[in-house]
Amino acid sequence: MRGETYMDLAVDFMGLKLKNPIMVAAGPLTATGEMLRQAVEAGAGAVVTKTIVNEIRPKVRPRLAALGEGMQNIELYTEFSLEAWEHEIRYAKSHGAVIIANILAHTPSEMADIALRVEKFGADAIELGVACPHGEGLEGLFADPAQLYSFTKSVVQRVNIPVMVKLSPNVTNMAKMAMSAEQAGASAVSAIDTVRAIIGVDLESGRPLLSTYGGYSGPPVRPIGLAAVALISQAAKIPVCGIGGISNSHHVLEYMMLGASTVQLCTSLILNGLDSLSKIIHDLETWLMQHNVADFGQIRGKALQSLKSFEEIKVEPYVAKALQGCSDLSCNLCVRGCIYKAVHKSKFKVTVDQNLCTGCGLCLSVCPDKAFVLEWK
Amino acid sequence: MANIRDVAKKAGVSVATVSRVLNRASNVSPKTADAVLAAMQELHFTPNGLARGLALNRTRTIALLIPNIVNPLYPEMAKGVEDVAHQKGYNVLLCNTEEDIAKERDYLTMLIERRVDGLILMSTLLTNDNLLQIREYNIPFVLTGRYRQDLEADIVYTDYAYGSYLAVHHLLEVGYQRIAHISGSAIQWESQEKLSGFKKALREAQLTVEAKYIVEGDNEIEGGYLGTMRLLHLSEKPQAIFAANDLMAIGAIDAVKAQGLRVPSDVAVAGFDDIRMSALVEPKLTTVSHPVHKMGLIAARLLFDHIDGGAGEDATQKILLQPKLMVRKSCGHENRLREIFN
Ligand SMILES: Cc1cc2nc3c(=O)[nH]c(=O)nc-3n(C[C@H](O)[C@H](O)[C@H](O)COP(=O)(O)O)c2cc1C
Repeated sequence: MRGETYMDLAVDFMGLKLKNPIMVAAGPLTATGEMLRQAVEAGAGAVVTKTIVNEIRPKVRPRLAALGEGMQNIELYTEFSLEAWEHEIRYAKSHGAVIIANILAHTPSEMADIALRVEKFGADAIELGVACPHGEGLEGLFADPAQLYSFTKSVVQRVNIPVMVKLSPNVTNMAKMAMSAEQAGASAVSAIDTVRAIIGVDLESGRPLLSTYGGYSGPPVRPIGLAAVALISQAAKIPVCGIGGISNSHHVLEYMMLGASTVQLCTSLILNGLDSLSKIIHDLETWLMQHNVADFGQIRGKALQSLKSFEEIKVEPYVAKALQGCSDLSCNLCVRGCIYKAVHKSKFKVTVDQNLCTGCGLCLSVCPDKAFVLEWK
Repeated sequence: MANIRDVAKKAGVSVATVSRVLNRASNVSPKTADAVLAAMQELHFTPNGLARGLALNRTRTIALLIPNIVNPLYPEMAKGVEDVAHQKGYNVLLCNTEEDIAKERDYLTMLIERRVDGLILMSTLLTNDNLLQIREYNIPFVLTGRYRQDLEADIVYTDYAYGSYLAVHHLLEVGYQRIAHISGSAIQWESQEKLSGFKKALREAQLTVEAKYIVEGDNEIEGGYLGTMRLLHLSEKPQAIFAANDLMAIGAIDAVKAQGLRVPSDVAVAGFDDIRMSALVEPKLTTVSHPVHKMGLIAARLLFDHIDGGAGEDATQKILLQPKLMVRKSCGHENRLREIFN
């Protein structure tokens, strides 16, 4: 504990007592008991195992590609047998890990059987890993509310530990999927799994960078994750675990303000290392201290209240105005980015022609100096 | 928790040796036995229900009864069973019943005499009464293959009717109307179920099921070949053939080629099972995956629940495994996406 900045980040999630709301998501960093232990040592409040299945198969190579800030993977499931997972889970548990076993099967009875087994191995909760966009067909279980319901129900009826359902963003209506999970008795939902993607094409060889359709993750998917979590929070009453593109405490808080109770991280931890967890946790403590927030309940869902229908958004006579001059002679983002040709810049002086400006607001977000505001015309 | 393999590694001996020590076999030197026992202690190895096993006089063998050792489907299943049994330190006895109920009964008698610790029966021909008799010997068993509603037993099954329906539905979708079926051997229940799936798909498409387009095969390549020859000599030959297993489908492709015709442009062929070879024949065979490897894994896991005494009070398990259409090249579709997302 770090003296002055000490805050209690503990949360109760699906009845599990977590020292903080940050989990390491199902993926390559949670592939073995030893890795689970390392994640917990790095500060994670809980760990979600790599997807556990009845029938394992070898990993394809290559299966990861990063481009810009995003990552595509075509990775499938664990390479360990169920028998081996008994050992891995017990090992991580003996080091104090709170373990959520991510499992996948293809019928409700098969799913329930694996669930029962991982419960016996000592898992604290289950996450149904049904949302992978590759390896399970174009639209499978993850896109069918009725099937999701029956799979979830059969697991919930079978085990005594809480069950969380991981949702895919590759559907038209995530709220419907969340409600199916809730009606079937799930204790929580997590979202999002990766977004179906092809990250790029190598022009010289004329081939996609990875050899099949895969899942996109990392910072570029965060807005998709945020909207998903907001949607789900407004549709269902069970707690939500936010996933997608989280790499700092700011992102964690964004997810929480849109309704998440906990979060999971994968890609940023792959790229920045598990060490980055301690900074995220520290920054979270600091922010809560500075904002006098005693527990996450005070901020959870706060931003949802300001989400409006178009009918409720009043059309006000906003136009942009430059508050200050600009010291960066080389920057021309505001001028170039103005669709309505309303922004002008000469040397250090920036002006907005308020007769041309339509109040779109883009200059406010493109200006690195935050030189613009909107005001009533 | 360490397993038997960890102990073997630590002690620098084979898994078999550890197993012999556990079974207090006489052919282990005291020095080796000491090393194994020390390794167990250090790794906190608790012989998974094994101590009990010793007291109960276990043979550390389970048996798997399969209908046909020559069909590459069944070794896949044996591999599933063996994957689990090996980790548990058990041997698997493989018995080939050849779809012969007398042979199956003989094996059962032998296995009971040998006091195997458990049985897995694939596509058994035994009646429920026959099976319940095994219980009298206190030997747990798990059935695999088709569903049996009226039997209180662990069953890992797949839906043969639905799998067949998927294959025939696919043929209809591609545009074939005259679709023939080469059925499996009549003695197998699974064959009846596949036939019913075939009929259901046709009826749903408002096509009549014509007797001349249904021929009985024998689940072997030859049966597929001969059945296809018969079909190709009909005055109105079928546009597509759904064979009840991949071996017969491979025989069918051979027969079509022997007649100077091509698959799929002259006659489309679909199979059932998805044996490895089906992705290698020319053209690659569209088929229905029969998840026997997974069946073997799960059946063995259920069996060991009983053997290790971990089955609890839970009622018997009936676990369905999903049959899945594997779209490849032998049916002449043009839906590449379907193949990629198989
Ligand atoms: C390489 C890789 C492997 C993954 N494997 C799994 C998996 O086995 N099961 C699962 O449910 N999600 C898996 N995911 C998805 C992540 O858990 C997470 O939902 C997604 O990556 C979005 O979060 P992120 O942007 O923080 O990475 C994987 C993601 C990546 C990048």
